[in-house]
Amino acid sequence: MEFSNVASQLNAWVIMPEGVVILTLLSVLLIDLIVGRTSVRWTPYVAIAGLTASLGALWLQWDPADPIAFLGGFSGDTLSTLFRGIIALSSIVTILMSITYVERTGTALGEFLIILLTATVGGMFLSGANELVMIFVALETLSISSYLLTGYMKRDPRSNEAALKYLLIGASSSAIWLYGASLLYGLSGGETRLTAIAANLAENADVPPLGLIVALVFVVAGIAFKISAVPFHQWTPDVYEGSPTPVVAFLSVGSKAAGFALAVRLLAAAFPLVSEQWHFVFTALAILSMVLGNVVALAQTSMKRMLAYSSIGQAGFVLIGLLSNSVDGYASMLFYLLIYLFMNLGGFTCVILFSLRTGTDEISEYSGLYQKDPLLTLAFSICLLSLGGIPPLAGFFGKIYLFWVGWQAGLYPLVLVGLITSVISIYYYIRVVKMMVVKEPQEMSVAIKNYPKIQWTLPGMRPLQVGLVLTMVATTLSGILANPLFTLANNAVVKTEMLQATLKSPEATETARAIAPPVATTPPDPQG
Amino acid sequence: MNLSEGVQLVSFGILTFLMLGAALGVVLSPSVVYSAFLLGLTFSSMAGLYLLLNADFVAAAQILVYVGAVNVLILFGVMLVNKRQDYRKETGLLLRQLLTAVVCFGLFALLGAVTVITPWQIAEGVTRVDSSVIALAKHLFSDYLLPFEVASVLLLMAMIGAIVLARRDLLMEDPETGMPAETELALPERPRETVVSE
Repeated sequence: MEFSNVASQLNAWVIMPEGVVILTLLSVLLIDLIVGRTSVRWTPYVAIAGLTASLGALWLQWDPADPIAFLGGFSGDTLSTLFRGIIALSSIVTILMSITYVERTGTALGEFLIILLTATVGGMFLSGANELVMIFVALETLSISSYLLTGYMKRDPRSNEAALKYLLIGASSSAIWLYGASLLYGLSGGETRLTAIAANLAENADVPPLGLIVALVFVVAGIAFKISAVPFHQWTPDVYEGSPTPVVAFLSVGSKAAGFALAVRLLAAAFPLVSEQWHFVFTALAILSMVLGNVVALAQTSMKRMLAYSSIGQAGFVLIGLLSNSVDGYASMLFYLLIYLFMNLGGFTCVILFSLRTGTDEISEYSGLYQKDPLLTLAFSICLLSLGGIPPLAGFFGKIYLFWVGWQAGLYPLVLVGLITSVISIYYYIRVVKMMVVKEPQEMSVAIKNYPKIQWTLPGMRPLQVGLVLTMVATTLSGILANPLFTLANNAVVKTEMLQATLKSPEATETARAIAPPVATTPPDPQG
Repeated sequence: MNLSEGVQLVSFGILTFLMLGAALGVVLSPSVVYSAFLLGLTFSSMAGLYLLLNADFVAAAQILVYVGAVNVLILFGVMLVNKRQDYRKETGLLLRQLLTAVVCFGLFALLGAVTVITPWQIAEGVTRVDSSVIALAKHLFSDYLLPFEVASVLLLMAMIGAIVLARRDLLMEDPETGMPAETELALPERPRETVVSE
């Protein structure tokens, strides 16, 4: 086999966006090494520029003619492009909010950026990975960088505890996922590409073998850990409380989006044969997540813990879209994730700003914030109300779309639970807003009484201000002008071949047979 | 049954006996050091099983990585911690152990049943593999090229992360004022005074 032949077969330009991020990562590393500590004033902007360039590369690659790269290892279809965009965007906003936070804690910013960029690369590869080995390597890249980021404040016992908990639970869930993947490999007669697995399984079994169901359960355990759906959520509150807040923001948006991308691809491409079973499992996960996440959030006193439980509940809402199993279903899921990115990252920017100014994240300490800092109050209120789903804001349209799609698909119990729990969620979001806005001056908390003078000109405050205003505007506007985002999400689903194959016929087994092994992705003969 | 099959069967029996015995020893031995050494024996017998399956490269990697690196690391961990501690008698230990045994046995029964029931697609006849290294290398540079390359990014980041966690941080100074920073390597949020139960 000649080299030029191999190079054209690999179709390597599909991973250009990831390549750009890796180059950025390396240049940040080298700049930090050569120039020294003073470079932290501008390396974050190098990272942001690199991620923006990567977003540009994704934009140019929208709907490529031949999305399959690396002989079936990676797929650059529109679905993965949108997910990769969401992850890169969440990373940009996370860097904006982390500059001051990390410097204030006295830890090194250069290494923080490098690990965060690696996590981004892992998440982006995970969104497009089309083959079991690639999925595992990408998953581990994302997970191990997340463990490191969680334990980044290494003198703080809370951070240590969070990192250790996350590492142990994450490692065991990875192991379980790997066991499931090895069963899939064996059942399909030695295939690792998802489409080939489905085709082989459908060919050789009329009834799904017991092994396939066991593999499904094990694989779901790995996915549910990443999206922190309820029985696999135990790590979430402790990790969210103990990690640096920018890391929490990334975990709740970027890492979760990567988990959903993995769920869509793996379930739609490799498990059409047991479609009924995975719908059943995920319905249970969705109901449990919505109920437990939203109910336990009511009792929280720490803002980070409350947002942790709220993110568990939000994952339950997003699962409704996944379960609808239609074009609109997947589109509503993507649409909600896009909106969730702005509103949740906006919320975390506000939490960071507040904790940097007052040194606390207790909910009771927020009372009377309106008197001292109207901009922060406004931004935080908008993000929280949007998370709760109050009408003119983005979250409302996202939720309405999800529930409408679920209702159309006949998932009545799921939608009813979703409606009830989102009413519950409005209570705890509004409680915070009320505390900030309505309190009389004499009811102000101690932290607010000692609130420092607002100075955006202090070093490191500008990026936070930019992030705050950006997410606030995006959350407000994407509610009123939702159409471009909606079209984007819809296009991403319609133009994805993999999903089209699954959606064509509702009958699960028929679908599996319809997927012929794609000719273009046949690997070269290892002997030749 | 010819001679080679007989040899294979006998070696399989010996390796399995060694592995199961050593694995039981790992769990049941009261001394951590004995457990660690028995773990090494388990890994080595596993390598023997790989050899029986014609997977010579995997067997070598198993010895190098698990016995040579992971197990030695565990022993170093035991040595560095060096804490003589008698295990406190827990109440209800018997019940817990019983429950664990039931769960483990159930899981084992399920997985065993799956292995027996499933009609595995096994290639007919004997496939002769001259050198598994060459076959693996061809895969690594064709259809598994991307994971191979991404693993290098993962390793780079893991190295940086390990250094960040392990290095001794000097007291860093604020670049503007020259004063030591307010909080050192800790979260800016104050810890909660009282732990509120949920």
